[in-house]
Order: sequence, then structure tokens, then C-alpha cells
Amino acid sequence: MSNKLSSSVPTDREVVLGILNDSEDTLNKLYTGYFPMVLQFILNNNGDEDDAKDVYQEGIIVLYNKIKGGNFELSSKLKTYIYSVCRRIWLKKLSQESRKTNNVSDFEDIMAVEVDLEQHEEKDQQFDKMNDALVHLGEPCKTIIQDFYINGLSMQDICEKFGYTNTDNAKTQKYKCLQRLKKLFFQV
Amino acid sequence: MRNEIELEGIIEDYLNGKLSETERVAFEQLRKNDPTVDHKVVAHKVFLDALGEYANKMDLKAKMDRAHAEIDVERLTEALRPHPSRIINLWRKNKAAIAVAASFILLTIVTVYSIQQNTKQIGSVELVSRELTKIKNSQSSLIRIINSKNTPKNVKPANFGGTGFALTANGYLLTNLHVVDGADSVYVQDSKGDSYKAKVVRTDSQYDLAILKITDRSFSPLSNLPYRLKQSGIGMGDVVYTLGFPKDDAVFGEGYVSSKTGYNGDTTQYQVAIPVNPGNSGGPLLDHQGNIIGVISAKEKQVDGATFAIKSKYIQEALNSIPNDSLGKKVAFNKRNSLQGLSRNKQVQKIQDYVFMIKVYK
Repeated sequence: MSNKLSSSVPTDREVVLGILNDSEDTLNKLYTGYFPMVLQFILNNNGDEDDAKDVYQEGIIVLYNKIKGGNFELSSKLKTYIYSVCRRIWLKKLSQESRKTNNVSDFEDIMAVEVDLEQHEEKDQQFDKMNDALVHLGEPCKTIIQDFYINGLSMQDICEKFGYTNTDNAKTQKYKCLQRLKKLFFQV
Repeated sequence: MRNEIELEGIIEDYLNGKLSETERVAFEQLRKNDPTVDHKVVAHKVFLDALGEYANKMDLKAKMDRAHAEIDVERLTEALRPHPSRIINLWRKNKAAIAVAASFILLTIVTVYSIQQNTKQIGSVELVSRELTKIKNSQSSLIRIINSKNTPKNVKPANFGGTGFALTANGYLLTNLHVVDGADSVYVQDSKGDSYKAKVVRTDSQYDLAILKITDRSFSPLSNLPYRLKQSGIGMGDVVYTLGFPKDDAVFGEGYVSSKTGYNGDTTQYQVAIPVNPGNSGGPLLDHQGNIIGVISAKEKQVDGATFAIKSKYIQEALNSIPNDSLGKKVAFNKRNSLQGLSRNKQVQKIQDYVFMIKVYK
């Protein structure tokens, strides 16, 4: 089953270089290449295709962070790494939801990925905190913050977009939003 | 309020490295002197990092969602979901374990088999008398009824078969003891397909030889024997041949003497490389000049072409040990060999009238 899907998958080196260069094409190929493998694992271990999507994306993020972190060595096949990470994530999820986990059906080799996942969980907590804080911040603050800090819009752009009379007003508004967001972020 | 906004602007610029050199030095001085400012800087950095991570992850997720949208998840799910059949599931889950188990079993079988093969090889020689199948013989006996002028009584198929050859022109034949051992009745059939009743007149269990006499009245004496018994001068590599009845017609087999001793170094036998089959037992072994040098008696199982023949010397000994009266007159072989110098097919043509199929009813 899992053999025929590897034809279009780029080589491991290509993937690593592609990720370092932020190549979206590499990401697409990587993503479509290994998804069936993870899907098969999840489907055969008490999960559905949505679980598979979540777990797989989580796994790819772990891989990304590891490669971007600069301490990635190709000690094993990328395929094995992705499979092991996704497997670990899924088994943890299952045990958290106290679903049946005995008798795991495996389809690939497994390697130890515990350390990487611990790091990932820390980052994940930060992410969740930020996400919660942004949700609680509400509009228009959320958009202003995102536009300024994430999308890189200038205060001038924001001023025009939100119809403030001058940039000082906009700046004041942004400052208030930021203070609230910071409060929410550090509080949680 | 305004100051606060200004300060935050400066902190952001500082963290992003947008301050000029003098501004940076001044700000760092301020940070040192004012712990509140320093705390704000640290907190803002942590916050901005978290926000950056958040942005990256959201970006990556968005990209992956786009990639995901291109996958035909439904079809894949259909193909990869656990199969309703338990057996296929079991197979998919335990492919590796099953493979290991299967190879282990295979290995065990091969090992056990090869051990058995080895013990067999050490253990046994196979006597090449022929156990005839009933069907084969009911067919051949039908043919014989048509062909035979004088033995309509012989319709019951023979149980065992072998080969024998004429010792004298008046109907004494030599064959292996194991061919006729325990026989109720013995018939011999010549190359023309005529059957004659015979009886065992002498056995020699030491050399596995038996002498038969054709007692059938319809038997007319043969002309002079073309071959003679050669008792010495046979060495390894000498070309030899035999004629026998592994099936209902005579079969010619050629080979060479591969050893001057037989099974387990038995000095009464030669080892010859001639492919023989059940039914060849008792057949004459002749050298290239048509001298009889032995009697085919056995072959080694599992070894191709390792056939054993009793040396002609012991044929002579067996003959000598037979008292004169039991054979009527002393058995003496021709001193002359009329086959000498003839081509192989001429020799065989002459010999085949003197080689008989032995049919044994037990």
C-alpha cells in the first residue's frame, strides 16, 4: 500500500533544502507524499481522516521546527521520522481521550522521537496561549494586531483601513489593544 | 499615556534593531537604570517571539491546508481503512511477524529434510528389482496374450520384475537372488515377447545371485552364447554397458566403471556410473568387447549414477559352488567371445536374445 505513494515524493535532501528555503512547492510534495502513510496508520488505530489531518499537520510542523532549528541530521529516513512523530502524537492523543490503545497497528519502522516532541509540546503551549489570547482580544483589536505584527502593515495603512482620523489615533488604539493582548497572554 | 506609547515604540524599534547607534546606547543606559523599563523590554521580546511563532505556524497551517485540499482524502480513506475481513487485517497488521514465522518454518523444514536426506544417504542401497504396477501389467499381459503362442494361462499380472541373462544355451539363467526371493512362481520373457515358466534351481545369498532353469516345454534351446565371462583386467574408467528391463522392453544403458569397490568398499562389487531403474537388477554388465564382467544388483539412493554390480569372479564362484548334478552338467562359459570387434549396436543386437525379463509372482 505505502510503496506506490513514494514515487512523487522528493528525496530527503530536497525536502530539507526546500524547507530551509521556504519552498512551498517542496512542502506540497512532502505533504501529499506522506499523507497516505499517516492516514493509513490513524484509520487503522481508532481514528478518522480528520484526526489524520490534525496529527499529520502537527507532525509536519515538528519536522519544520526541527529543520529550521538547524539541528537536523538525516540519521534516518524522513519517512520513518514523520511516521514515528505522527504515531507518537496520535498515541498520546488516544491516551488523553482514554480511547483504546492496546495493540497498535504499525505499517512502518519506528524511531525514538520523544525529545523532539517534548520541545514541540512547549512551543505548542505558547501557541495555544497566543491563540486563546487573540480569541479573547476580540475585534477590531485582533485584526489590528495581526495586520501590524503579522502581515507587516504600517500604521498609515492601518489608519486608512480602519478609518482613523490620524495615525496618532491609530497608534493609541494599537497600543491599547497590545496592552490588553499582552495582559491576556501573560495571564493565562 | 503618550509617554507609554512612545516608550513602547522605542522598545519595538530597539528589539527590531531600528535604533541608531547613539539612540541604542542611550536606551541601554535607560534599561540599566530603570528596572521597570528593562522588564518591559524582556516581556515584549517574549511576547513578540511568541507572536512570531504563532504567525509562522498559522502560515504553515494555511499552506498545508491548501496542500490537503488537493488530496483526494475520500478515495484514500476508502483504500486504506481497516478491511472488513479479519484475515486481511491480521495480515496487514502482522506482515512482519508472519514473514518471520514463515521463513522460520521454511528453514526448519529445509533443515529437517536435509538431515533426513543425509541419514538416508548413509543408510541404504536400493535394490533395483521392479515392483510392477497392476495397470501397466494388465496392459502388457494383454499384449503378451496376443503375441504369445503358448502361454495363455499367464494372465495374472506379475508383482515383481527383474532382468536375467543366459548362462547356458539350454536354459539356465542368472539373476539376483533378491529378484526371485520368496517367489511363488517365476516366468521369464525373451526379447520377442515369449514367456516361459522357470524355476529357481540354486541360490547364493552371500553374493545375491540366483540361477533359474527354464522348465517350459515350449522353450527351444538357444544358439551358442555370444559372450564370455571375463574375470580380471577391469579398471576404473573402462566403458561398460548393460541391458535390462526397467520397463516391458529392453533398455540399454552405458557408463563406466567408477570404482573397483562397491557400496561401503564392498570388494565383491564394482561401482559403475550407469543410470539404472527398478527392473535392472540381474542384468549383465558387459565391457566394450562384450565380455560379461558383472551383474547389476543395486544402486545408491539419492546419488545419481552410483550403481553396483557383482563382480564376474563371484559369478564364477557361485557357479563353481553349484554341484554338477543340480545343473545337470557343469556350467562352462564359452571360451570364445564372438562379440569381440563388433560395433556396439551389433553387440547389443546379438545379446538381447540372451537377456530375459524375469517376472515374479509372490
